[in-house]
Amino acid sequence: MKNKLSRRNFLKAGFLSSSVMVMSGCSLFSITTPQETLRVLQDDLFPKAKALGINTSSYLHIVFHHSRISKAEKEYLKNGVKWLNEEAVKLHKTTYTKLLSTQREHVLHNFAKTDWGEDYLANVMNYLFEAMLGDPIYGGNTKEAGWKWLQFEGGQPRPKERYV
Amino acid sequence: MYDVCIIGSGAGGAPIAYELANAGFQVVVLEKGENYTEKDFNKDELAVTRRDMFTPPLSEQKHIINEYAQDGTFTRYDGEKSGWNFWNGSLVGGSSNLMSGYFHRLKPNDFKLKSVYGEIAGANVVDWAISYEELEPFYDKVEKIVGVSGKVVKHKHQEPRSSLNFPYPELQTNGVTKWFDKACEVLGYEPMPTPRAVLSQDALKRRGCYYSNFCGSYGCASGAKGSARAALLQKCEAKIITDAFVYRLDSDDKRVKKAYYYTKLGFAHAIEAKIFVLAAQAIESSRLLLNSKNKFFPQGLANSSGEVGKNLIFSAGGSGQGRFVFEKLTKTQQKELMQTGVFFNRSLQDWYEYEAQGKKLKGGTIDFLFEHQNIIPRVKREMYDENGKLLWGEALANKIHKTLTTSRVLTFEVFNDWLPTDNCSVSVDAKEKDKYGVPVGVINLNGHPHDLEVGEYLAKKAVKVLERMGAVEISYNISSAPPPNLVAGGCRFGEDAKTSVLDKNCKAHDLENLYVTDASFMPTGGSVPYTWTIYANSFRVAEVIKKELRS
Repeated sequence: MKNKLSRRNFLKAGFLSSSVMVMSGCSLFSITTPQETLRVLQDDLFPKAKALGINTSSYLHIVFHHSRISKAEKEYLKNGVKWLNEEAVKLHKTTYTKLLSTQREHVLHNFAKTDWGEDYLANVMNYLFEAMLGDPIYGGNTKEAGWKWLQFEGGQPRPKERYV
Repeated sequence: MYDVCIIGSGAGGAPIAYELANAGFQVVVLEKGENYTEKDFNKDELAVTRRDMFTPPLSEQKHIINEYAQDGTFTRYDGEKSGWNFWNGSLVGGSSNLMSGYFHRLKPNDFKLKSVYGEIAGANVVDWAISYEELEPFYDKVEKIVGVSGKVVKHKHQEPRSSLNFPYPELQTNGVTKWFDKACEVLGYEPMPTPRAVLSQDALKRRGCYYSNFCGSYGCASGAKGSARAALLQKCEAKIITDAFVYRLDSDDKRVKKAYYYTKLGFAHAIEAKIFVLAAQAIESSRLLLNSKNKFFPQGLANSSGEVGKNLIFSAGGSGQGRFVFEKLTKTQQKELMQTGVFFNRSLQDWYEYEAQGKKLKGGTIDFLFEHQNIIPRVKREMYDENGKLLWGEALANKIHKTLTTSRVLTFEVFNDWLPTDNCSVSVDAKEKDKYGVPVGVINLNGHPHDLEVGEYLAKKAVKVLERMGAVEISYNISSAPPPNLVAGGCRFGEDAKTSVLDKNCKAHDLENLYVTDASFMPTGGSVPYTWTIYANSFRVAEVIKKELRS
């Protein structure tokens, strides 16, 4: 049983830490991971979450392994990491997480000028808000910090286990 | 062999189970979904409304949707690829577990739409096979057995009632209802408390509402909501088999013999009964009949008329909203506005019938309610600026915080008749199959232009109320988009076996022992949510079946 759980945890970690090849033109520029990029991206998109003590990126483990979220949606999340990094390379010659915050803001503004770039950022924020404002049982929304910020009281009764 | 086998455990099937089982008959109910009780329900927004835990995944079970334009052309959508979801609740008690329980009766003229208002070109309007007077005792029965709370107030379209008032008093309401009532008084409108299938006090061996703040879309943890499960199935000894997807009914030329079902692991089983009652919700009931064709019924079971699946209807209309902002309110009003938990519960039926260009027209109902408390969609809506550009960072955080903590949205829903037409129907797909290997349902959609005219008329009346109340950012959307949870038709009842599937007692014209008791029987839908009428009709048919079994 212990081995099975370890195997499962390994697989869970695997998807978020899998390689994303960042291209510059036709050449391989660098390799990054969804986890690394999405953590920084979510902090950039909504720093208030971090200020409230909420770790939104850990919720992505649930997203990437949820039985009710399609494979296509998960691939889309992963592909966006590649697109964002390629925008960073195009503008500042290095990957997103290695940029200064002002440079990352510049990348985001350029990225959001296209419909697909804007849609991708909105999608990342969708899961960010799920983490921040879903029931604390899912690991985000620590001590109901997201709810308290918005003077919101969750409904009763609260879930006793995660639905994954 | 069972006396009665019921396919589907929702509002159409449960009254039959309740009445027949309590009368001592052997009843079995086949339900595709799982069983949940009050102890299982919670207010997990992620699970219930974002991961759709109570409906099948579209990757496993979907529909094909053909959306018709007025010129007769159509666009085909694959339910899985488009995400267009017509499932409403696969669990014991069906989608009644997840309803808001806005309970309005149909009115006498709804039973004779063609006679009273005349034909409308392009619409297949017919009168019902029964009158309001025949159904009234069963509306009354639902009030008492399922439990309806409210207060009868006199207004010009109030339907006749055999009981003076509702058996349970009004639910508690938010202080903003006073603003609403005052605005209506100035405008000369007649507001009424919305009757609700939610117990306002402990009764019927169920607990009263505890004002959880999360009613519609969620299962009720107290049993106050009058779901088919809490109100009926938990009050009888009918045997309920879950994880039972009925894929075929077998018959000879006169009688249904067996219902075949699959479990999710693919095992097939069969049930024999004297009488079969189909109540799988309108689309799926027609689909099952069409998928059950045999040598006696080559067009589909009970379909010698060719009418199975025809004249599918939804509720026409749409919705609108207005926002109340702190800047325009006193401190007391701000406090009233932000009071959560309690209901809004106000409706207008002033224009259930109205005149335009010298002609009497059928209108509808407007229900007012606060925007759902689900916080994630309320926050997500703030992600864009006034020019539609995505916001992030501090600017977004400030916008979210201000909007959610210093304003609140009051919404309205317009319900008017969805006229039945030739291009709105159910069929089955020749190629696409679900996870059980059964052909999926095809939903052909078409909204009649008249529906939009009536919806617009009603929405403009609702807007006047919001304006008078001092709301800002008022908007509405009336469209032919079908609300999946308000669906009826497909197996019309009527006197003529050539033009209807069911007789006036909802028994198939073609078969001696098959009844259909969900909303499929309705030739027109009235201008209210359907659940109360489904319950009432099912109680009516239960009387017929009881007599038959005793004869």
